[in-house]
Amino acid sequence: MNKNLWAVLGIVIVVIILFVGGFISQYNKAIRMNEAVSAQWAQVENQLKRRFDLIPNLVETVKGYAAHEKEVFEHIADARKAYFAAKSVGQKARAAGELEGALSRLLLLQERYPELKANESFLKLHDSLEGTENRIAVERKRYNDQVRILNTYVKSFPGRFFAAWAGVEKTQYFEIPEVEKETPKVKF
Amino acid sequence: MRLIYKLILIPVILALAGLTFAAKMPASYVVDSAGIIENSIRQRLAGNLQELEQKTGVQMVILTVDSTEGIPIEEFALEKAEQWTLGQKEKDNGILMVVAVNDRKYRIETGYGLESILPDSLSGSIARKYLVPRFKTGDYTGGIYATAIVIMHTIASAEGVELTGLPKIQPKRTRSASPLSSLFTLVIILIIISSLFNPRSRGLVGMLLLGTLLGSSWSGGSRGSGGFGSFGGGGGGAFGGGGVSGGW
Repeated sequence: MNKNLWAVLGIVIVVIILFVGGFISQYNKAIRMNEAVSAQWAQVENQLKRRFDLIPNLVETVKGYAAHEKEVFEHIADARKAYFAAKSVGQKARAAGELEGALSRLLLLQERYPELKANESFLKLHDSLEGTENRIAVERKRYNDQVRILNTYVKSFPGRFFAAWAGVEKTQYFEIPEVEKETPKVKF
Repeated sequence: MRLIYKLILIPVILALAGLTFAAKMPASYVVDSAGIIENSIRQRLAGNLQELEQKTGVQMVILTVDSTEGIPIEEFALEKAEQWTLGQKEKDNGILMVVAVNDRKYRIETGYGLESILPDSLSGSIARKYLVPRFKTGDYTGGIYATAIVIMHTIASAEGVELTGLPKIQPKRTRSASPLSSLFTLVIILIIISSLFNPRSRGLVGMLLLGTLLGSSWSGGSRGSGGFGSFGGGGGGAFGGGGVSGGW
């Protein structure tokens, strides 16, 4: 009788250890996913900032040829201010969309002032801008991928319990509102 | 049943192994799928790129295709560069130059680590000056070679090394190719040796050799076992979408 009791006890202990181990790893998984999202968001912000910093030079170069296009320059200035003031992911996404629209209009000026296309400074800035745009697109996609993984986990079962326990919540996707998406992209 | 199993399955596995290695890394520094680069220049260029890697660690690969088939060249280049993991892992110093001839588009994709040495504005200027004018006259070989040389010089001077124009011919690479291919080679050698002691396995060995030959011919031959201009395997570098695209 005693032997059986020990055997059952042994099994119960093993089961408890497995459960605890499982709980710990799921908790850590939630934390890891959250960190991955944060880290990737930092990458997105890096590239957005990079674009933000490129704009003044670009504007100056264009002003050299198209000084009277006040509306375009004002739009850009406003969009930059809005981006600077934006805090949450959603706000930043919206502000970034605005900025992209304003930039498109600025770059469209090439059509009306073709001398811009012959200006090497402008071309270099344009390359930098396009490069940054591409980087933003890539980091954004990676960010959204990480968010999808996290959100799926937080919504699923039993993920939702571990997420709640770890204090990990659903995160916002970086999505640019439809309106801004329709602005034309300038291609050389 | 057992004999058929051995006769078919093992060569197939080895051939598949050859194919997987082919997908994981380019056969050479210059992959001219579109066939637009003149042979002697292609070889010389591959040699130069090998020297670049040996002296600076930068892995630069040139890929020509007929078309990216609807996929934006930015996406195409990024995917390939990541698949091949060009560049060293800690440094992310890979470059992939893609030319899609029929699309009339090119892209120079730079790894995270090269953004200071080869910023987009510089790549753009280089391409505009050396690639586009030549491409417009149909001189693809000249355009690619000139652009590549200038990029190599830029990197070399930034790293403070000198590329003598021709790398030393090394019979054996110091850095090994993927550990998996070495394992396969080892297994094959062991099987061959053991079969020499067992007359019944000679047929099996014949099948193994046949499979290996098939596998290596499908993957294009070079698997980083050494030699002039052959690529030794991606270093695990990462890409973030940096670079320039253009057309002509």
